[in-house]
Amino acid sequence: MKLNEIAAKLELEKLTPAFDKDVTGVYISDMVSDVIANAKAGNLLVTVQVHANALAAANLVDIAGIIVAQGKRPTDDVVKMAEKAEISIFATALSRWQVATKLYEAGLR
Amino acid sequence: MIEAPEPRFQLADIQPGYVIIEHEMYSKVARSYFSAEPVPPKEPYREGSQVWSFWEMAQSFRFSVRDNQTGKTVRFDELLGLLYYGCCKPDSELYRIGELALVNRIFIYVAIAYEAPDGSRLDIPLEKLEVLNKAFNGRLRTPDKKILILPDYFGLYKELSHGQIMLDFGLTAIEDRS
Repeated sequence: MKLNEIAAKLELEKLTPAFDKDVTGVYISDMVSDVIANAKAGNLLVTVQVHANALAAANLVDIAGIIVAQGKRPTDDVVKMAEKAEISIFATALSRWQVATKLYEAGLR
Repeated sequence: MIEAPEPRFQLADIQPGYVIIEHEMYSKVARSYFSAEPVPPKEPYREGSQVWSFWEMAQSFRFSVRDNQTGKTVRFDELLGLLYYGCCKPDSELYRIGELALVNRIFIYVAIAYEAPDGSRLDIPLEKLEVLNKAFNGRLRTPDKKILILPDYFGLYKELSHGQIMLDFGLTAIEDRS
């Protein structure tokens, strides 16, 4: 499933362009070390972590995109970093649980 | 779901724990080490004439890289964390090098090592960094993307804060309050 399709289904706010990437699965975590150790390339990361290091970790493991939940928003610097790394960031007021539920309903496993 | 083929080099023996940062009471020198204990040690202790006190901690993990072809495993116990060039100041050498590399879709990280007991930095041999680079590049799916993890030739450890390294500061503080 493409990022654009997911953004449309979940009515996500695009903080960066939705880059043309396939999503291979979902990983939910707020820990940088957990993302580095366990997330897989192509995963969509659902988090409330908006620190630059979260983006650095996502880039290291080749995360396809990030959904920042619960109304959190990264700073402009982090958004700019994400654009350079071609990692899409989406924002939503939904909780991580609600996002997970909707992603499952959308067909992601 | 699209399953990627198994990469040759993989993270293995992942051991969760804490990076403990402590400082010496008189000289105010700070140093860090990894603790795998379930409850991180916070009591001050004496080491010769020095008294070391707990300062801060971050959740982290220790790991090895396994070569699935040979079965050989390389441990990275001396690795404190990785620093992404984009988390450095825009007027720093590393940031400028990182921006140059980015033109070729190469993303620069620097491996920061723990301090030795005498205050010097532990060495991460180039051969080990080569293995680490293979492990992270082997995980990538984006075709033209490359990760380059460099040794700390820049002496960044002298000037950076632990918060710039990819560690989980803050989360343990939240847990303590709950």
